[in-house]
Amino acid sequence: MLRYIFRRLLITIPLLLIMSFFLFMVMKLTPGNFYDSLKLNPQISPETIERYIKLYQLDKPLLVQYFSWLTNLFHWEFGYSFFYNIPVAHVIGGRVWNTFVLSLASLVLTWGVAIPLGIFAAVHRNKFSDRLIQLCSYVALSSPSFFVAMLLLYFASQSHLFPLGGMHSANYDQMNFLERFIDVLRHAAIPATALSIASIGALQRIMRGNMLETLGQQYILTARAKGLPEDRVIYSHALRNAINPLVTIFGYELSGLLSGAALLEIICNWPGLGALMLTAVQSKDVYLVMTTSLMGSVLLILGNLFADILLARLDPRIRYE
Amino acid sequence: MNKKPLSQSQWTRARLKFSANRLAVFCLVLLAIIHGAALFADFLAPYAFSNEDRTFSYAPPSKIHLRDEHGRWRSPFIYGRTITFNEFHKREYKDQIEQKYSLQFFIKGDPYKILWLIPCSLHFFGAKDDGRFYLLGADARGRDMFSRLLHGAKVSLSIGIIGVLISFTIGLLVGGAAGYYGGTVDDVLMRMCEMFMLFPGFYLLLALRAVVPANFNSVQVYFAIIVILSFIGWASLARVIRGMCLSLREREFVLAAKTMGLSDLTIIVRHILPHTLSYSLIAVMLSIPGYILAESSLSLIGLGIQDPYASWGNLLAEAMGIVKIKFAPWILWPGFFIFITVMCFNVVGDALRDALDPKSRRT
Amino acid sequence: MTYFPRKLKVFIRHFFLTSFLLFFLSAVAAANPARYGGNLVLSSTSDPKSFNDITAKETSTTTVTKYIFEGLTTLNALTVKVEPALAESWEVSEDGRTWIFHLRKGVLWNDGVSFTADDVVFTFNDLIYNDDIPSSSRDVFTIEKKIFKVEKIDDLTVKFTLPVKFAPFLQGMSQSILPKHKLAEAVAKKKFNFTWGLDTPPSQIVGTGPFKLASYRPGERFVLVRNPLYWKKSKEGDRLPYLDRIVYLIVQSQDTAMLKFLDGEVDAISLRGFEYPLAKPQEKSGDFTIYDSGPDFGSSFLVFNQNTGLNPKTKKPFQNPIKAKWFLDIHFRQAVAHSIDKAKMIEILMNGLGYPQNSDMSKSAGFFYNPHVEIYNYDLAQAKKILREAGYYDRNGDGWIEDPDGHTVEFNLATNSGNSERVQIAAIIRHDLQSLGMKVNFLPLEFNTLVTKLNSTFDWDAIVLGLTGGIEPHFGMNVWHSSGGLHMWYPMQKNPATAWEKRVDEIFTLGVQELDENKRKILYDEFQVIVSQKLPLIYTVLNSSLDAVRNKFGNLKPTSLGTFHNVEEIYILKDGP
Repeated sequence: MLRYIFRRLLITIPLLLIMSFFLFMVMKLTPGNFYDSLKLNPQISPETIERYIKLYQLDKPLLVQYFSWLTNLFHWEFGYSFFYNIPVAHVIGGRVWNTFVLSLASLVLTWGVAIPLGIFAAVHRNKFSDRLIQLCSYVALSSPSFFVAMLLLYFASQSHLFPLGGMHSANYDQMNFLERFIDVLRHAAIPATALSIASIGALQRIMRGNMLETLGQQYILTARAKGLPEDRVIYSHALRNAINPLVTIFGYELSGLLSGAALLEIICNWPGLGALMLTAVQSKDVYLVMTTSLMGSVLLILGNLFADILLARLDPRIRYE
Repeated sequence: MNKKPLSQSQWTRARLKFSANRLAVFCLVLLAIIHGAALFADFLAPYAFSNEDRTFSYAPPSKIHLRDEHGRWRSPFIYGRTITFNEFHKREYKDQIEQKYSLQFFIKGDPYKILWLIPCSLHFFGAKDDGRFYLLGADARGRDMFSRLLHGAKVSLSIGIIGVLISFTIGLLVGGAAGYYGGTVDDVLMRMCEMFMLFPGFYLLLALRAVVPANFNSVQVYFAIIVILSFIGWASLARVIRGMCLSLREREFVLAAKTMGLSDLTIIVRHILPHTLSYSLIAVMLSIPGYILAESSLSLIGLGIQDPYASWGNLLAEAMGIVKIKFAPWILWPGFFIFITVMCFNVVGDALRDALDPKSRRT
Repeated sequence: MTYFPRKLKVFIRHFFLTSFLLFFLSAVAAANPARYGGNLVLSSTSDPKSFNDITAKETSTTTVTKYIFEGLTTLNALTVKVEPALAESWEVSEDGRTWIFHLRKGVLWNDGVSFTADDVVFTFNDLIYNDDIPSSSRDVFTIEKKIFKVEKIDDLTVKFTLPVKFAPFLQGMSQSILPKHKLAEAVAKKKFNFTWGLDTPPSQIVGTGPFKLASYRPGERFVLVRNPLYWKKSKEGDRLPYLDRIVYLIVQSQDTAMLKFLDGEVDAISLRGFEYPLAKPQEKSGDFTIYDSGPDFGSSFLVFNQNTGLNPKTKKPFQNPIKAKWFLDIHFRQAVAHSIDKAKMIEILMNGLGYPQNSDMSKSAGFFYNPHVEIYNYDLAQAKKILREAGYYDRNGDGWIEDPDGHTVEFNLATNSGNSERVQIAAIIRHDLQSLGMKVNFLPLEFNTLVTKLNSTFDWDAIVLGLTGGIEPHFGMNVWHSSGGLHMWYPMQKNPATAWEKRVDEIFTLGVQELDENKRKILYDEFQVIVSQKLPLIYTVLNSSLDAVRNKFGNLKPTSLGTFHNVEEIYILKDGP
């Protein structure tokens, strides 16, 4: 197993480098750079802008620029943000956490709702409640998250029930721990719901399918025949086996923790990586873009790896070499 | 996954099974209607996508009347309207009783070309004598929301279909080749796929959008977006096709074709890929929504199709402001259209899977 | 979810306020002890980019630093006069070139160190005039490539020697002064460009201003707290400022910011015209007032590329000579000026709350604003007539007009895609020009790309754009002088291309060295008339400057220069029982 992990990571790293080089070229070869936008300020002279270009070596050949960024990477130096004028790590630092909080909230919401719903639907198979749930799932599955977010924001603006965008209240600094926790939850409610709706629909369907399949297995029939109470049959025998295959899905969901919510962050004004990435791409803040996407990739890779390992653990038929 | 080629009878059985799913049939019909409407948008829409009348900024949907101010019945008509700003500077439209415009089918209006070929100026319906008929209300510059929705459908739906076709062509060829040859070819091609799947999709989308030269006009941007979406989308398909081909290449009919001395390309295209057809059909249906949503997301944050051209995404971008929704809720329509279309594709795709490939319910 | 009903929330706020007030009753000996305490919550659309006032490049940074740092002088937003700040008084020599500033006694940096002449000399000689430090201030304080000489006379006296007379000098002296004791080391190590970035601990950012930085969370908010060492006292003798804290929420969407204001989370907001109908009816229930202080500063215009210069690399003209010929034709520009539907723009974009703009200065600029300029009504028939007389009409019946040489009038109209208001303005203009028979291709561009075209590649035809403005006409020098980099229609000319551009150059050279305000006004009045006649920029519309402020502040005096310009005097009213 260790060898497998090692080999996989070994293959991944060159791929990551090629892709990051590709991204770097993409950012660099397109016309216009960050300092162009400064030029419209009547009080800044062209000489000033020239000085900036020198300062950040923007006039050196592209390969030199890329490799200087790459070598610095190994010293945990991710480059400089031209837009913020501080090291990239500082810009990203706090935002990674914020994105993580939102993704986690949505993950908890998704699993917390979808799993019980799936079980319920499977147990009440083909009854009215099941059909209603399946219909809602289709609707949920097909709702574009951005549109849901827009509608939720609109209703929040009418009802004053939830804060409209942002992550903290103005007086957050004066709150105690519990109040802070609740404050963040209230702010996360809209984006997390919008983010979860579609996944709840999808996961619920999978859970229901798994559960139905398990309930049809021989040993369940045996358990029932033995006269075990239905609750115990469902919750202690069937459930465990029905949930096992979902663990891999969980692994894959972990991989999207840093990049999955980007669009919603922009719409809901959540101070995460998404909005940062958008402005960074638009203002051609190269190193910020590179570092953010690289981080997203690393998490994606780790998440996938984690999922595969879990799968191997759970399914003895799969063996990696 | 079903790796046997479907025989004639299996197709028939699948069709029967599909038609038994009433929801799926309904959704299929709905999709046909939406796509048909998009194809004939110029004729069905009362106005051209750029037809504006600034005196009707954010005019609410026109009320269709059947009785005039004296209570007399007459053919359907609308009143002319004028704008005033109230004490809070809010738009208020007042009916002008003396201006009446009859509504008619097959009315002359903005010129266009039927299917990009035949010049025509006949529209399905509209108001006579320069009356402004807003079935679903107007946008900021007094353009008809209904017309723009139809014109937008043309863009959004075609991006979905063309995008999927391109990435599927690439995916089938790459996946087919990788699976058929195996070994080094397989390794190289699969590493390439992985490379594209390593980067978070939305970030890649943003970065690639930045490459598109800024002086592209709207038509060029449209094709650029299709290319970008296909560029991102082909890899995941290629991997699945590869898996299927890997097992197919050991089968007798492939070996037979090989001994007959057919070229590799012929074998892949003629003998291997057809066996992945049922899977491909399902995957096409289920991935089109992704393309439609990706275009909408791009347009929503201002990086997609640009005004004056319409797409569902850029129409919805107008609804990004809560203030605008509050005073002109009809600008949310594009969102519902996106939703309905995506849902239809999902339902139809699901039903197809049930019909064609009953064992893979849970993938 | 916990959710406090509105009334309960207000009650809680009052409760906390009163306890703060009680605390200050005993702590501060002042004429108006009840005025102390409380928070001001505002919103900003973007993060500051640094806390370094010298290298700052954008308003999001000065949003923070304006509370922390001060200059020798300050501009009173009410009287629009220059007033003493860190300098108590000043003298000027008869030739207007030597200025001596007497600094205020007893001013402390917020870390307790005394403020002296060394800090002023340091700010100018070691920071602004330091070649290693990119700073926009240097451009302002450099005249004809010569810099000011700044010398310390004694601890509280500084002498400035100017190369030539410089009319806006005192206004320029509102330049922030930075502490030598905190920054000298960084400058010596050539690290100043990276100091006081966003990663600096707030306590390290030291200024003399009324507030100091307390915390910053990227993408969320920054908090400023009262500087207890601030020198300024109110007329009643209270040590200012009154407020405890200023909290800035970073809210990217202006729409959300406005809703947060209506929700009571934010205390003040700058409204856009189309939001007025939502906010106005809630004035009573939301307990706020909307102040309309007239047109905004700045400008919004359509500009044509009249560049006849040759690209030194390709030896070809930057602008296609066929197009340049149209754009250089004053009749062509007049016809376009007649096709700007300003009234409808104001209606559609601003719900009627805007002003048509006719020349360079905004009405809010006050003294230097000249209302008697050429005005072009929206009149497409007139525009068509002008074009016809100048030889532009449809010669071959294809629906598009041709110039006298038979070329179809076709060009690209660009604007920056991020600004929805500008995109709408451009779209409206395009629609009308199309109806005149011009083939206009609309090209919304990303801001940086647009600027590249405008500044380096010069490959554009027409652009809808805006510039920031102020009350001092000289600060538009870069735009109006024919050698200026922002002289967009034909930048960086060696010699003025036209007679009127030559005259404008003269006016700016004379204007900056003329110390008599009235004589300056005559010069700049003429400039505004020339601009309106020659139409290098075809102006569109300006927003009303609308500020909504919660009814809880004392000493509030909003002007078009700012709502909280006198933030140190502002206090929270104790309303009702």
